[in-house]
Amino acid sequence: MKKIAGIFLFVIFIVLASACSDDTSSSDKDSNKEWKPEKPIEIVAPAGAGGGWDTTARMAAKVFNEAGIIEEDIGVVNKAGGGGAVGWAYIAGQKESAYNLFVSSPPIILVPLNGQSEYGHEDFTPLANMIADYGAFAVREDAKWDNLNDLFEDMKKDPESITVVGTSSPGSMDHIQFVKIAKAAGVDVKKIKYVTDPDGVGLTQLLNGSVEVFSTGVSETVEQVKAGKIKVLGITAEERLEGETLSDFPTAKEQGIDTTFVNWRGFFGPADMDSAAVKYYEEKFKELSDSKEFADVRKKYGWNEMYMNSSDYKQFLDEQKEDIKSLLDELGLGK
Amino acid sequence: MGSIEGVLTGFQVAFSMEGILFVLIGVFVGTFIGMLPGLGPISAIAVMIPITFGMDPTLALVMMAGVYYGAIFGGSTSSILLNAPGVSGTVATAFDGYPMAQQGKAGKALAIAAISSFVGGTVSVILLMLLAPALSSVAIAFGPPAYFALMFMGLTAITSLSEGSTVKALISAVIGFMVATIGIDAQTGTQRFTFGNANLLEGIDFLVIALGLFALAEVCTLIINRKDLSIDNAHKLGSLRITKNELKEMRGPMTRQSFLGFLLGVLPGAGATIASFIGYITEKKISKKPEEFGKGSVKGLAAPETANNAATSGAFVPLLSLGIPGSGTTAVMLGAFLVLGVQPGPLLMTDHPEIFWGIIASMYIGNVFLLVLNLPLIPYISKILKIPRPLLISLVIMFSVIGVYAINFNTFDLYLLLLFGVIGFLMRIFRFPAPPFILAFILGGMMEQAFRQSLTISNGSLAIFIQEPIALSLLIVGFLSFMFPLVRLLRNRKKERV
Repeated sequence: MKKIAGIFLFVIFIVLASACSDDTSSSDKDSNKEWKPEKPIEIVAPAGAGGGWDTTARMAAKVFNEAGIIEEDIGVVNKAGGGGAVGWAYIAGQKESAYNLFVSSPPIILVPLNGQSEYGHEDFTPLANMIADYGAFAVREDAKWDNLNDLFEDMKKDPESITVVGTSSPGSMDHIQFVKIAKAAGVDVKKIKYVTDPDGVGLTQLLNGSVEVFSTGVSETVEQVKAGKIKVLGITAEERLEGETLSDFPTAKEQGIDTTFVNWRGFFGPADMDSAAVKYYEEKFKELSDSKEFADVRKKYGWNEMYMNSSDYKQFLDEQKEDIKSLLDELGLGK
Repeated sequence: MGSIEGVLTGFQVAFSMEGILFVLIGVFVGTFIGMLPGLGPISAIAVMIPITFGMDPTLALVMMAGVYYGAIFGGSTSSILLNAPGVSGTVATAFDGYPMAQQGKAGKALAIAAISSFVGGTVSVILLMLLAPALSSVAIAFGPPAYFALMFMGLTAITSLSEGSTVKALISAVIGFMVATIGIDAQTGTQRFTFGNANLLEGIDFLVIALGLFALAEVCTLIINRKDLSIDNAHKLGSLRITKNELKEMRGPMTRQSFLGFLLGVLPGAGATIASFIGYITEKKISKKPEEFGKGSVKGLAAPETANNAATSGAFVPLLSLGIPGSGTTAVMLGAFLVLGVQPGPLLMTDHPEIFWGIIASMYIGNVFLLVLNLPLIPYISKILKIPRPLLISLVIMFSVIGVYAINFNTFDLYLLLLFGVIGFLMRIFRFPAPPFILAFILGGMMEQAFRQSLTISNGSLAIFIQEPIALSLLIVGFLSFMFPLVRLLRNRKKERV
């Protein structure tokens, strides 16, 4: 009896300890002076543990502390739900705080445009972009297409014969990156057949021949390409990537399709963050981006360097939004 | 033969001092977290990921795999003792495990679960070792039409899960279907029944419904029936010993479900849940005494417990040999691999045989450890039932709340938990069975997606379901097993009239 009660108490303790991580929300207003954090900083990953956002946040926090770039402790908190919307709503409630950051990527533009979040990138303070990732379009090794133009020619002739699969729903990243490139190649984007496999089984559907094209991230294709199961017809980067196998992937651009899609990833703070704090973080993120330790992290996960400071980042985001909005409107998905 | 060398390397890793130590740590943490109501393998793996930073990848993964199957192994405990399944794979365990515990045979129920889990786990590891490379083609054999057919087959279980009124079972299933549609529709990106609430965008989590309909509803019933407390047997632990007869009864389900569970586990997306349900209904269908199922049947407990553990090993086939996660849990596992810089996939076996075979070989030891850890603990664990009722009830409520809160750290989920607790309680009062609800909820979502993927691919033609041989045969089996009880019912009625 006592033993059991002890075990129960122990577990309650663990759960509570992990649930009640630091909740910081006070604001320091001292705009002209230099700003420095005086208590632990929280970085929210608006998704579950183990995904891209979570990994980026955890790696940034780790290098910040280990390389001594930021002395104060940095805690990563997962706030999953609504494709990011739940985490964004949480940060939106931390107005002006200089201690609540979050990591984000194109969904913060796509999700509000799809009508699934009341908050978009305008409701936050962009601090710095850190890395870039790119999309890849893969087909089976024995498929008849050897480049994107062959594929798109067939899609123009007989759109019903080709199905594209992705992990996320229409109007989100896997779909939009394909549509964007296809449109630039002159395909009627409204006729593209796209199915979603939310359990991450899209690759299965490609391998067993249920679908013809898999729209995904570059790094997800590498193992299967090495094993000779699939081939990558094109990637959405500006230039070829570096690295074994990766450098073999042709870009859409070099195939005469003049457009790109960047899966950028960076950090934001709440709205109205103090300008001294913005400046502080901008510099610290730059230091992080230039550090050898973070270069190793990038290499390990196959990420590309793409630093932007706060104002460049904001301008970039506004342009991205315009681009994607017109694409969604054409697809009839805009809200 | 490269693979024999690989297998030997694997055993070397698994039987090294560190190997054994980390397997032990993994299965201990896994089975312990798995035992807690509301916490399952996902929480267990997520808790352990940060600990693996900087560890040797092989040992770390051997440990993480132990956490995973350890949590499934331990998951039966809260289903049996408290009617509070912590993962979808142990819902079917509660069907007969909980009644058995209520009859004063809690110790025996836990022992049956432990032994079935052990057999399912061990047989499937042998299958995994022999067949993993060959089975990777089976893992991708199912396209959307075949998945639809598989889910359809699973759904025919509704008729056999219903005690009493079939109509009420069907109504219950339809509500389950409806609840499954809440959230963003994956095929169009449209919101369904979210009423603009961001908390509903990703739908309702399985755990909210399972703990509401099973655990909280049970708690309400206990409170209402408090007068009967003095006469019930539930606080008795009973003997642990399994009689020869019972062992004989278990043998059939354990053998069949080890194989069937493993095969279903190999299919991405099917996994332990479907394996345990299909295991339960096949055993009920072929049993000579199907009326015992749902009332504390030995077979009804052994079948899902064998199947869900066998399926867990099966799930390693697509994960290790293709790099495809078949479920939420294996997706977190994949995350654990990537954190350690190991990319599972077709090249893992040749590039890192020590990891590929090390994990598999360690599962033998892991399963033995689990049995040795769990059996002696049973008398202590089942003492939970001796806790005075008012205290036990509070503990169940508390753990349900913690479990649900731990999914997203979102208080909105707690209101939903309460709502489903009330719904579950009302369903009991009006005698609507809960199992069809939860089955329809689990399968309904996947079934709908597979159906619509199929139709998109076929440009709207239903012929796609009969053109594919796997889909067609599964549909026929499903249809027959659906019609069978009806035909029997009609025949019985005719007899009565005559």
